[in-house]
Amino acid sequence: MNSDVQQINRFFSKKRFRLTLIIVILGMAYVGASIGLGFQTHSLLNVQDGIAWLIQNFIPNEASKGYWNEILQQLFRTFLVAVAATTCAAIVSLFLAIVGAKTLTPAITVSWVIRAFSSLLRNIPIVAWAMILLFSFKQNDLTGFLALFFMTLGFLTRAFMETIEDFGTEKVQALQATGATYLQVIAQGLLPEIAVALMSWILYMIENNVRDATLVGLLTGTGIGFIFNLYFKSLRYGAAGLVVLSVIILVVSVELISNLIGRLLS
Amino acid sequence: MLTVNHLTKSYDGEKMSLTDVSFSVRPGEVTVIIGPSGAGKTTILRSINQLIRDDDGEILFDDTDMRQLNRRQLRQARCRIGMIFQNYNLIEPLTAIENVLHGCLGTKSNLAGIFSMYRNREKEEALQLLQKVGLGEFAYQQCRNLSGGQKQRVGIARALMQRPKIILCDEPIASLDPKSTVTVMDILRDLAVNDGISVLINLHQVDIARKYADHVIGINNGQVVFDNRAKLLSDVAIANIYQKNVNTEGSLVHEF
Repeated sequence: MNSDVQQINRFFSKKRFRLTLIIVILGMAYVGASIGLGFQTHSLLNVQDGIAWLIQNFIPNEASKGYWNEILQQLFRTFLVAVAATTCAAIVSLFLAIVGAKTLTPAITVSWVIRAFSSLLRNIPIVAWAMILLFSFKQNDLTGFLALFFMTLGFLTRAFMETIEDFGTEKVQALQATGATYLQVIAQGLLPEIAVALMSWILYMIENNVRDATLVGLLTGTGIGFIFNLYFKSLRYGAAGLVVLSVIILVVSVELISNLIGRLLS
Repeated sequence: MLTVNHLTKSYDGEKMSLTDVSFSVRPGEVTVIIGPSGAGKTTILRSINQLIRDDDGEILFDDTDMRQLNRRQLRQARCRIGMIFQNYNLIEPLTAIENVLHGCLGTKSNLAGIFSMYRNREKEEALQLLQKVGLGEFAYQQCRNLSGGQKQRVGIARALMQRPKIILCDEPIASLDPKSTVTVMDILRDLAVNDGISVLINLHQVDIARKYADHVIGINNGQVVFDNRAKLLSDVAIANIYQKNVNTEGSLVHEF
């Protein structure tokens, strides 16, 4: 009885010691990094000055209202690039995921190749994609489209592949037992089962890509990202603030709509 | 009708799952395979339509060896072998009638099957089969909304849509309540008696086997230890089929 209590106490003091250790290590990491960067912690106290400046200058004023037309136009363009890149990537990914999923692949080496390929695409940051593609495709919408396309292709292939593998082999076998062909099993069994999951992945990627498209546009000199850069650098802060506001509204409404579609589907 | 000779299978190349399994199934009879779990019942059933590739032996279905067929021939042979499963394996978001129509995929061209282009005759037949298993009013219900017993009956209708000579049933009642069990087993019995379809069922419930089977095959540790008429299934025979054996994991397998 007594030894039980001792054991429990030992367990808890060990746990407490571990937690303290982790906090100490994190604290040391912060101090070390601050010294390395020459970062002065007390400068955080003045952060409200910066925010106040931001609010004063970036609140859209009367003058910036004249930019609405151009902003909406570019916003729509950016939105279309994001949607186009996502849907095109989704079609290609679905094909790759079916061929690459362990449960349906014609050969396990094909599966590994597709896995490696999608991992490569996925792990190159979107900014790097845009800058690389900029060399060969110059400043236009295609560059932005391709950057989003490759990122999304990598991501969705992986996501679809996992969805397909969850589907399992039992139902595949049940349809094979009726004498169905490989393509019939996919069309009649696999696709109906995973359709809802695929749709929610695609909607999620559209949301993501609308956000990323803004950033990509900044680099490739197209769409909403470009005019933000333009207004900002020409000191038209009010108009730049309006761009930020419009992007926020777009992203939030895309998310709301995709939530609505998701609820209707399930 | 169906004859299995010297069937042998090992999954890992060391432990034998099936050793020299031989038996035959007569037309219009209910044949039940009983035995402890892990004895190899599922392996036998899935070898018959080659969902599992066995290692050696002979599976004669209408005098052709299932093991020797090429892909195309195998698909054609599978058309005449219905199958139902413990977990039903229906496509849940689709309706009951669509799942039943899957039964005729094997007889359709690739494209017609992919795009669900079924003939009117096939649609009528599917509806009749649903009525036959008592689910006519559920034809347009998504299968995910059906109960276990109803799902299994859709599974039976899908198998019947193949116009099968034999139906393989892999633990068809293991996930069902007692009432659904009776319904499903009555339907299977009826298919053998009235439609002349051979029914081969994996079971682990001895009482059900006794009640519904014409012929019983007892499997223990991958070997046939009983192969006789159901009425000759004595208590001694059952004890023999279910005798404790130590499987490779070293745990005792004993189950009634």
